[in-house]
Amino acid sequence: MEAILPVLLFVAIAAAVSVGLVVGSSLIGPNKRTNRVKEMPYESGMDPVHDTRRRFDVRFHLVAITFLVFDVELLFLYPWAVASRSAAGVDAAVSQGLVSGRGLVFAGAMAFIALVVVGFAYDWRKGVFRWR
Amino acid sequence: MAEFLIGLGLPGWLAWSIAALVSAVLLLNVIAGGALVFIWAERKIAARIQDRLGPTRTGGRFGWLQSLADGIKLLAKEDLMPEGADGLLFRLAPYVSFCASFCAFIALPFAFDVVGQRLNVAVFFVVAVLGLEVFGVILAGYASASKWSLFGAMREAAQVVSYEVPLGMCVVVPVMLAGTMDLVTIGEKQAGWMSNWYLFHDPFTFVIFWVYVTCAVASVNRAPFDLAEAESELVAGFHTEYSGLRWSFFFMAEYGSMFLVSALAAVLFLGGWNGPVPVAQLVGLSEGTGDSAAYFVRLLGLGNLIAKATLGVLLMMWIRWTLPRLRIDQVMTTCLKYCTPIAAVMFAGAMFWQLFLPGGLLPGWSRPAGEIREGWLEGPGGLPAAHPTTSGHNVGVAATDPSDSSGLATRSPR
Repeated sequence: MEAILPVLLFVAIAAAVSVGLVVGSSLIGPNKRTNRVKEMPYESGMDPVHDTRRRFDVRFHLVAITFLVFDVELLFLYPWAVASRSAAGVDAAVSQGLVSGRGLVFAGAMAFIALVVVGFAYDWRKGVFRWR
Repeated sequence: MAEFLIGLGLPGWLAWSIAALVSAVLLLNVIAGGALVFIWAERKIAARIQDRLGPTRTGGRFGWLQSLADGIKLLAKEDLMPEGADGLLFRLAPYVSFCASFCAFIALPFAFDVVGQRLNVAVFFVVAVLGLEVFGVILAGYASASKWSLFGAMREAAQVVSYEVPLGMCVVVPVMLAGTMDLVTIGEKQAGWMSNWYLFHDPFTFVIFWVYVTCAVASVNRAPFDLAEAESELVAGFHTEYSGLRWSFFFMAEYGSMFLVSALAAVLFLGGWNGPVPVAQLVGLSEGTGDSAAYFVRLLGLGNLIAKATLGVLLMMWIRWTLPRLRIDQVMTTCLKYCTPIAAVMFAGAMFWQLFLPGGLLPGWSRPAGEIREGWLEGPGGLPAAHPTTSGHNVGVAATDPSDSSGLATRSPR
């Protein structure tokens, strides 16, 4: 809790400072005198042709899904990376000259990476990474 | 700080809050001041690269007050919102970007134990919170009701989302080498001579550092990966419709993130706050003891880290004004077909090296594995501090060890 409390406080301070600045700016800034043309979305000087809220490109969707898979898989590497040095007893294995402990750690990570590579190769073959 | 306040008799939560407040204000100054300096530097560097002069008048010489003058001007500007924009999201977006960039600084150590809040998952925290910045950009682009903004936001989303993967894979390598996600400990483990930096740990980490640089430049949207702004094709990209101070928040966030990824690169690969030559350790000062000498050493380390991070930022500026912008499909290809596989192979290589060749290719060159590492970690007094300047495990001492006349002992294991 004592580690989280300052973090929350930081977020609050950042938000407060930024909101305060904008409020201050609106106080000392010029009064709003707007008209229709000024409020128009910029479209290179033309009147906007049609509404902006349209359908997204499906390609973005694919990339996002790929990201979700790979990034979540990547998350599991971090605990492995931490544990590979301590909990798995690699240091002890190194000092005693035992190769088996290290081999196990290495094989575990390689098996994991191999699984990810299968997914990656599948995506590549399916043309997910081709942007067009 | 907090311990000191508790010692004065304050309740715990109040002490922690005051300590956090103080460091938050300091960090805010780092970001705001850093943004001012870097924006000025970028304008001068851009000008020089393009054979111009850049700002010359404001503040007397070199136009060094130019950014401050711009800031005051922006403060007094009108805050416009286009018709048809989503009011709440439009107003919220700059705050999201800025807060994400700011909060990632919490866990960044500037020197030994000089850190807003020491977290045991600091690496994770920094990368994750920095990734939140993209939400601000997407919100801004989507809420603006402008087609330019929407294009910028969509590109940004696809790009940042893709570059998170190789970036995460690069960052996991120092975590693996150090066996911890605590940035303070990771920096601490690279103390000593320059050869102890994780950049020089093995050939794979050397390569993966450059992959990290590429991905970091892409993830903070700097040229040649600044597809989200792309002023020559998308007007101004996601911030086309922004004006005044809200617009400047995006720039504060951008320059804050640039500094942050550079500082992260410094801590993860370039020895953090440890200089190339362990000067303080050679003259027998230690940063972990808590007396005034230790504070001097930490100040030295602060200078070191800021210098390294600044060099990183300058490198990004140099890249920006040298290389042409990539096309969106080239950006995605660079990430998915090059950076990710290279990072994965380098990760496997670094893992192999770490597990099977901890002493390097020629074991006779170095000290037995673990000797130095253990000496650092289990320092007296519980602090993971204490470069054992007196214990003889110190690399600085090892270099002059008469029993090892080869002079190669400086290449010590980590």
